[in-house]
Amino acid sequence: MKTLIIIREQDYEWLDHFFPGIHPLLVPICNKPFAEFLIDFSILAGSEAIRLVMDGPLSDVERYCENGNRWGIPISYASIKNTDDLQTVIDKNQRFCSEDRVLIISGFVFIQYDKQYNYKTIFASLPDGEILSSNRGSLRLRGSRTETQHDMGNIPLSLLGFDSIDVYYQLCMEILNDISSPYVLPGYSNEAYCHIGRNVVISKSAEIRKPVIIGNNVQILADSIIGPKAVIGSNVIIDRESSVIGSIVLENTYIGEHLEVQNKIASGNILIEPESGISIAMDDPHLLTGIHQSGSAKSLFQSIVHRLAAILLITLQLIPFLLLTPILILQGKWKKSTNSYFTAVSEKYLILTTTTIERTGPFSTLAAALSLDRFTLLFRVLIGQLAIIGSWPVVATPSSITEYSKTKSWYRAAVFSYAETEEWPVNTGDTAIIERYYAAHGNPMKDIALTIKALLNRIHETNTHP
Amino acid sequence: MTFHIDTSTGKKLGIAALIGRIDSKNSSELITSFALWQQQTSLFVFDCARLDFIDSSGLGAIVSCLRNAIEHNGDLKLANLSPKVSMVFEITKAKKLFSMFPDTGSAIQSFETNGTE
Amino acid sequence: MIISENTFNNITVIALQGTLDARNATQLKQFKSAAASTTSVVINLSEVDFLDSSGLGAIVSIARVKRAQGGDVILACMNNKVREVFEITQVYKLFDIYDDVEAATINAEKKHTSL
Repeated sequence: MKTLIIIREQDYEWLDHFFPGIHPLLVPICNKPFAEFLIDFSILAGSEAIRLVMDGPLSDVERYCENGNRWGIPISYASIKNTDDLQTVIDKNQRFCSEDRVLIISGFVFIQYDKQYNYKTIFASLPDGEILSSNRGSLRLRGSRTETQHDMGNIPLSLLGFDSIDVYYQLCMEILNDISSPYVLPGYSNEAYCHIGRNVVISKSAEIRKPVIIGNNVQILADSIIGPKAVIGSNVIIDRESSVIGSIVLENTYIGEHLEVQNKIASGNILIEPESGISIAMDDPHLLTGIHQSGSAKSLFQSIVHRLAAILLITLQLIPFLLLTPILILQGKWKKSTNSYFTAVSEKYLILTTTTIERTGPFSTLAAALSLDRFTLLFRVLIGQLAIIGSWPVVATPSSITEYSKTKSWYRAAVFSYAETEEWPVNTGDTAIIERYYAAHGNPMKDIALTIKALLNRIHETNTHP
Repeated sequence: MTFHIDTSTGKKLGIAALIGRIDSKNSSELITSFALWQQQTSLFVFDCARLDFIDSSGLGAIVSCLRNAIEHNGDLKLANLSPKVSMVFEITKAKKLFSMFPDTGSAIQSFETNGTE
Repeated sequence: MIISENTFNNITVIALQGTLDARNATQLKQFKSAAASTTSVVINLSEVDFLDSSGLGAIVSIARVKRAQGGDVILACMNNKVREVFEITQVYKLFDIYDDVEAATINAEKKHTSL
């Protein structure tokens, strides 16, 4: 038997508001990523292979699960469109499904199972069709059964639709409290109700009250109280005299001194009250902050390289600029416009004056070919406001803000766009494709080569800005 | 921030409306304003209906206002706290220091029944 | 890069072998059945070990022309590296992608006959 897991963006979109930057399948439930529960269950049910299918981004979960070696089951991945119905999804994964029996888990649902049961024989004897369904998804079987019909009633399974932060919270608390431990949970536990990870430093005066799950690399400082009913993720610091009761602290979070976190969820700099769904983002070193792993050396190298390139380009363009610009201004072909643009940091805007040159006549064509319209922007690279090559700066308007917030992970406002290195882009969608590609595959040295390519491309281009 | 005196209960109550954010950048403004207001009365209600956000400095400023009021035999009560701001009070245990009311009217009324002087 | 053509279930299948990058993107765009605007094609990527943004550009441009004229480009059999590129750039949202060439041709044919 094989398992096909189908997860759609519309079902987990709500989660992004509370845990931005965490892939929905990697959201930890009692410190174990959601995807692992699905994998555990698939193995229990007798699957020989798993395919994960989504209409949204897969790379994070693919990076985590890889080819499934860790669990001893091959895992593969596929992308579908959000308009595909179930039959189309099966057709698109025809080679995977072939003639085998397939367990289809579809939707954003948590499967409540118990590892003590023999699901292998149960599933082998169930007829095909829908087995369980909930408001957010279903479990179904495709293909004929291999054993005689089992009594359909009372399969020890249920489905929990993940549709609100409160459901998530209640689920974690329930698993924490369940002594029968139906699931395999991470952490060392030599007593019931208490799992602790590696490299956990607990101050002598701190108190741990069961049930509690603590991840790896956690520091619990003096006079703190953890639990009862606390889940602490990895890389967390709970500062002195604070208490975490009935709450979940996700990884990379710092909880300040003298705080009382009760019936809450804290993730990085976001504090959530599960019952009401209210969340507040704060970056206050006395209260709550995210703990960030630094990538500073890489970005330092990048900014140095970009600035050197800008200096070089300024030197080369200086004389032509001084000679040609006055002529073009007199001819009326040098047009400036000033706008406010988004930057990679939210709430921070950049005011830029961009120039367009009308390519009519010998002087203006020459000026455009030499990319003199970008000359003034090069100085912004020197002060670190722009990169030399990256994404087209996006004009900040109330209507563009929602589109922009989806692009934040790869957006880097620059003088030139990666899209200018190629000839095929026809619209902003195409531009975004190339900008995303190089945001993932670029490096500072490649950026220089691409800038040169963009400059060369401008020489025979017919317009200066799409 | 706005401030006016309410005498509907027969006592002089300072009603201040806190607006926008009170954080490390502007929390000192609240403290200086409060010192001025204390020249007019020692009983206060902070109407937080339009208070969107506070951080630890903002909270510290409000708590120091409370302490100042009590030192002068007065009091400070809070009204209309948004759920978000309420959460900040809750985790810092500041919630226990204040009397909180769902609207300014009931906060004002509480001074009436409270019989201080 | 080697390009070969076949017909399966009445649908043209273009099979690519090698790397689809800036050097051979034009080669693909000029390939007869790729350039022909009305025929739907299935592009078999099983022997493509890597593609970059120009390669993507070639596939996107071909699809654009065909779709404007009622045809389509359907993709089959991506390996992990190719799938990764489609995913980071979000181009996967623009195409129907199958893990089997025959299934791709059956569905391409279904779409055709329903038009």
